[in-house]
This record gives sequence, C-alpha cells and structure tokens, in this order.
Amino acid sequence: MKERYKKYTIEIPEEMSIPFAGIVESPKPNGEQPLMLTGGWRIYRPVVDSEKCVMCKSCVLACPDATVLLVDGGNKIGFNLDYCKGCGLCTWACPVNAIDRVPELDFEDGVPFQDALFLLPHVEALYADD
Amino acid sequence: MANAPEDVKLKRQAEEDAGALADSRTGTTKFLTGLGAAAHALKMADIDVASSYPIRPYTGLMMMLSMMAARGELDLEFVHGEGEHAQLGIAHGASSAGARALTGSSGVGVMYAMEVYSPISGGRCPLQMVIADRTLDPPGDFGSEHTDALSTRDQGWLLGWAHTPQEVFDNTLMFYRIGEDPRVYLPQMNCQDGYFLSHIPMKVVVPTQEEVDAFLPPLQFPDALDPENPLGHGPQLFPGQGHILEASRVNAMMGAFPVIDEVVNDFNSRFGTSYDPFVEQYKCADAEYVLFISGGHAYTAKFAVDHMREKGMKIGLVRTRWVRPWPTDYLADILTKFKAVGVVETNNSFGAARQCGILTLEVATTLYQAPKKPVLTAFMAGLGGEVIRLDEFYYMGDVLKDAAAKGSTERTAYWIGFHNV
Amino acid sequence: MIEITVWATGVIQDKEGRDVCLVLTEAAFNEGKFTQAFDNYVDLPDRINVQVRKYARISESQIENVFEYENHRPNIIGVCEATIMKGINVCKGIQKNGFLVINTTKDPEELLKYVPEKERKRLKAVGTIDALGIAPEQLIDYSGSEGAEDVSAIGGGLGAAMAGAIAAISGVVKKESVLGAASNRTAAKRGYDEVKIKQL
Repeated sequence: MKERYKKYTIEIPEEMSIPFAGIVESPKPNGEQPLMLTGGWRIYRPVVDSEKCVMCKSCVLACPDATVLLVDGGNKIGFNLDYCKGCGLCTWACPVNAIDRVPELDFEDGVPFQDALFLLPHVEALYADD
Repeated sequence: MANAPEDVKLKRQAEEDAGALADSRTGTTKFLTGLGAAAHALKMADIDVASSYPIRPYTGLMMMLSMMAARGELDLEFVHGEGEHAQLGIAHGASSAGARALTGSSGVGVMYAMEVYSPISGGRCPLQMVIADRTLDPPGDFGSEHTDALSTRDQGWLLGWAHTPQEVFDNTLMFYRIGEDPRVYLPQMNCQDGYFLSHIPMKVVVPTQEEVDAFLPPLQFPDALDPENPLGHGPQLFPGQGHILEASRVNAMMGAFPVIDEVVNDFNSRFGTSYDPFVEQYKCADAEYVLFISGGHAYTAKFAVDHMREKGMKIGLVRTRWVRPWPTDYLADILTKFKAVGVVETNNSFGAARQCGILTLEVATTLYQAPKKPVLTAFMAGLGGEVIRLDEFYYMGDVLKDAAAKGSTERTAYWIGFHNV
Repeated sequence: MIEITVWATGVIQDKEGRDVCLVLTEAAFNEGKFTQAFDNYVDLPDRINVQVRKYARISESQIENVFEYENHRPNIIGVCEATIMKGINVCKGIQKNGFLVINTTKDPEELLKYVPEKERKRLKAVGTIDALGIAPEQLIDYSGSEGAEDVSAIGGGLGAAMAGAIAAISGVVKKESVLGAASNRTAAKRGYDEVKIKQL
C-alpha cells in the first residue's frame, strides 16, 4: 500500500480477526448449534413409557424445538437431551398420557455441561492466577 | 443509611461532598436506573401523550409509563406505534395538537424514524425523545454507542447527554422547559448510555411535585391543531422562502443559548444543584491536558482522572452536556487553555476527516480560529458497548501527557483495544 | 469489594433472583457501605427458564468499575434453582474462600458433584436452604426487569430467604440489616436461621 495510505487503516492482529462481515456457518441441517446448548434450561425431563405409547407421534409434532425424535429404527420415541428445554408440550400433547415429567436432578447425567456462557478472551485471562 | 454508625455516616458525607454529588438538594432518595429516573421525571412533568415501540434497552421506560397510566398515577394517552417511524409520527401529531408528547428509542430504532425528525423540528413541535443509546447494526449488539443519536444531529433537534441517572432526571425536566420556551419551540433528544445508565440503578434524589410544578409550567403551543380553528401545518413553500425558513430554524436553535443559560441557572437555584449550563469541567483549574467526553463514560473517567492526579499528572476532564446546539464559544475559551485535548469517542463516522469520530470534528472546528491551538487527538473507545476500563483511561492520559510535552501525537485517532496493547 | 452472583431461571425467577441482590445491597447500604445491584445484561432474560444472573457489589469505598457488565470474580454464589448447577459451572471464577448457597431440600453433596474440582476447592462452605418452602410463593413479576422499577415489594418470598441464608453463611451483612431490608421479614429470618451450612 502506498505509504501515505498506511496510516488510514487499523492493524487487526490474527488472533482478533473475525469473519468477513461477521458471516458465519449456518446451523447444521438437523438444527443443532453447538454454541447454543439449551439442555441446561431443563428442570423436568420428559420420559416416555413405551408400554403406553401408541407411536402416534403427536409429541414429535408438538415439540417447538424438534427435540422429540424417532429412535430405534423409528419404533420408539426418544429425546435430544442436549437441547430439550423441558417445556412439557410433548407431555400435554400425548393423547394416552405416556409421557411423564421427571425432575432432571433425579438423573445422574443427560445434560451437556457448560463451563461458562460466552467467555471473552480478556475475561479468561482474569482466571490466570489459579 | 439511617442505621449506620455516626462515624460511617460522616465519612460517607465527606466523600459525597468532595465528589460529583457536590450539591445540596433535598427530596426523596430512590435507587433508580436512568430509565426509572426519566419515568419519574416524566410523571412529574405530567406528560399527555406517549408513543411507544419496544427496542432494548430503552423499552423499560415505556414499561414504566404504561404501568403508571394503567394504575391511574398518570393521566396519559399511551399509543403504540407499529414501528419507530410510526412512533415519531404519533408524537408529532400529538405535539402539533398542543400536547406534551414523549417518545423514545434506541439504536437502529432511532434510524428507522429518520425521515420524521426534520418535519418535527421544522414544525417547531417541542416533544421529547428519550434515547437510550445502542450500537447500530451490525451486529445485533445491545451495548451503548452514541452513533445512533449523533446521526440525527443535523435534523434540528436539541441534543444532549446525561452521565448519571440523577442527571437524566434533571435533564428530562430542563429539556422540556427549554424546548417549550416561546423563544425556542424545538424538540429535544434526552440521551443516556444504554445499559450503563439505563439499566444500572444509582442514587437519585426526587424533588416534590410542587417544586417541579413551580419549575416547569404547562405547555403553551401556539397555533395548535384544533378542529374549531383549522390551520395548515407543514405546507409547501413558495420559491424564495426556503432559505428564510431555514434561517428562522437556525435562529430557534441558536436562540436556545440564552434560554439554556437561564433555565439551568433557575434549576440550580430551585433544586440546590450546581450544573454548568453547557460544559462541566472536572479538575481543570491547573490541568495541562484534558479528556473531552460526553455521556456515561464520564462517570468512570472522573475516577480515572482522580487516580492519575494522585500520580502527579496534570489532567482534567471536560464534559459537554450539549451536542446541539454545540457550545462553540464556551468550548473555545475552555479548551484553548490546555496543551492537549483527547476526545473520547464512543461513536463512529466511517471515513470522517482525520479518521476520528463525530465529536472530534466538532472540537476541531471549535478550535480552528484559535491563535494557540492545543494538540488534538481522538480515542475511539467503548465501541460495541464495551466498558472503558480505568487502565484504558490511564493509557489515554499517558498519550496526552506525551502530546502536551512534545506538541504533537503519532496518530489522529487511537483505537482502544488495538493501539493500547 | 464483595461480589455476589445469583443464578435464577428466566422469567419464572427473574423477580426473586433480583430480590436476593436488592435485599443484600439495601442491607449493606443501611450499614453505610457502597453498593450496586444490577441484572446481567447479556442473558436476555425474557426466555422462560434460561439461566440468568443477577449481581450485587458491596464495597467499603466508592465502586469505580460500576459499568463492568459481570461479576467475573465473585465471592458468593447463590443458586435459586438447583437444577441449573447440572448444566453450567455456576461457580466459574469464584475467589478463594468463596461461599455457595443453594435453594434445595437435597443434601449438599448431591449438588456439589456438579461443581468442577477447580472451583470446588476454592469453596469455604456451602449452604442449603429450602427457600421455596419458606416462601409463601415464588412471585413472577416482570415489572422490575430491563431497567424499570419494581412495582412489587422487595424481598417478599424466596428471594428474602436466599438473602438471609447468604448473610448467615458469609457474614456479608448483619442479621438485623438483612431482616430490615426484606419486606417479608419472616422469610429472611427463616432463611438466616435455617440454612444448613457445611464447611468444606
């Protein structure tokens, strides 16, 4: 660049660079966005009783987050626990009361653990005294 | 504070006396955010019409006003627009009909209503717009930048910034009185930093209704829209009248100077405050170089100035309360006393002269004809709504100290986050 | 300066979470301290059940970093909904000799197992309190969010009990101060008296 124009622009170091116009990849086709895990919001987990379930799939349709899934070759109802927010719409939609809402703390696992929400680089440095 | 031990109370009082709260106002102490302060002031100003449209961070104000109206605490016509453009249109109509009207917005919302600002100021409607600043898109960032309100600076509105919730309260009342004065009749933008002022509660002393009524008389708008007495508002002009209308609009804006002087001094005498009508000077008496700033970051800057002075740096802070009208002569007198001036810019004007921000352009013009000009530079800080930390102010102080000694700076604009690391 | 971070669920506990901070800062203010109580701005609290944070700062001298968006190095963590601990490291950044107070009827170890070792060893004590049981109700009130002024009383229920518990475990404010600051004095007192403190 001509010398006289160099002072016009700001040097953005490599580690600080962001994509052009802030344009990022779109979420994956199945709707999962690993940066936005919502399983931690869940206070009650939906649990389906396979004996009662008639596979009408009302729950699959009712879920606003598309986290009610057909598993086991399409023969059973399962839940995407990484994202299910525990809203209870599937429970309400089930015509045979096959779904129960069970406190999430009754289960050992099933929630993706996040160390922090949106941790900025300069804040990460604040924990360096450990 | 009532139950605190006596020595603690005295220590607090001494600190308050020495600090920014160096005034003797009386009233009810509340902890309010800038939005809460504005809402209380607007209730006491007995506004007639509010037009709303939600956008974070100013929405809380409309939440409060609608609740006050619903509970019967305020006789308010609360109208919801379908967008900010409609919002301003509604307020325009209300004000033209002689109502004390209020609206507000943030960020891109302020931009969406852009078309209506000039008709309103040209129509001399003295309505108030409470702006809680927000960064303009992209991205969808809620943090504060002043570019939103500053982008409207050419539209003929009175435009000023507060730096504490208390000042938001006071400005709300003062701006109505100034804007509605028969010598002025101009709309006002009452600006505060989004989140920093709008969402953090701080101490606000609220005076009595009687005191407010005595300070702020009801609105008398001449030639208001009235079915009994039809008039034509905003007609087409004949050729040859355009520059006359513009000149009269300039006179309205520049004629605000003596009114601002008078009103702020009246406010001070009634409420025990010590506002300078135009420009606040903090520790400038023996300063060699100053930070020039407008808005909420001045609150942190004052602490930074205190600490830098403890280290022997001869630094001060100049805070302009007004951007329109720009107090040129006052600032020229003040700023030419210093060897260096650093303008803290929480705004952007991409491609502006000297690659600096909007306020620096104004300051540069202010100083243009001074026989002895200080070194002038800009500090682009707090962009994207970032906090300006104390160490960043110290960096600015160091740059200014060098500039005062050398008589020049390396750059016309320093970017905090890039040049100080 | 003491930094307090209170975790709560979005919308449902927005009011109660904020009340914990408001009661503690009101108590501290009445003791002559400098205080700041504010909501996390980034959390977008208008999403039901999202994890939200409410903050309080209590200092002997003027708080200069008033505009700092978050409490990066808290001394005290309050958790109004215990399930939150399963999905997020609520103690992130906690200072040494920190305190953790959880609204739960469970044994503290059942919840501490979700705290990573690094944060766990910085905890001085953990308190558990059945704040929901003490509260007459968990008030859902959005009036005080987004910078607006709360129309309902401060410290009417669960928030008061949590504030009492935090005061008891940490001593950040005196008992009489926190009782006086909450509109539901009984809830605050029960929170103070009934919190089960386990030293670590």
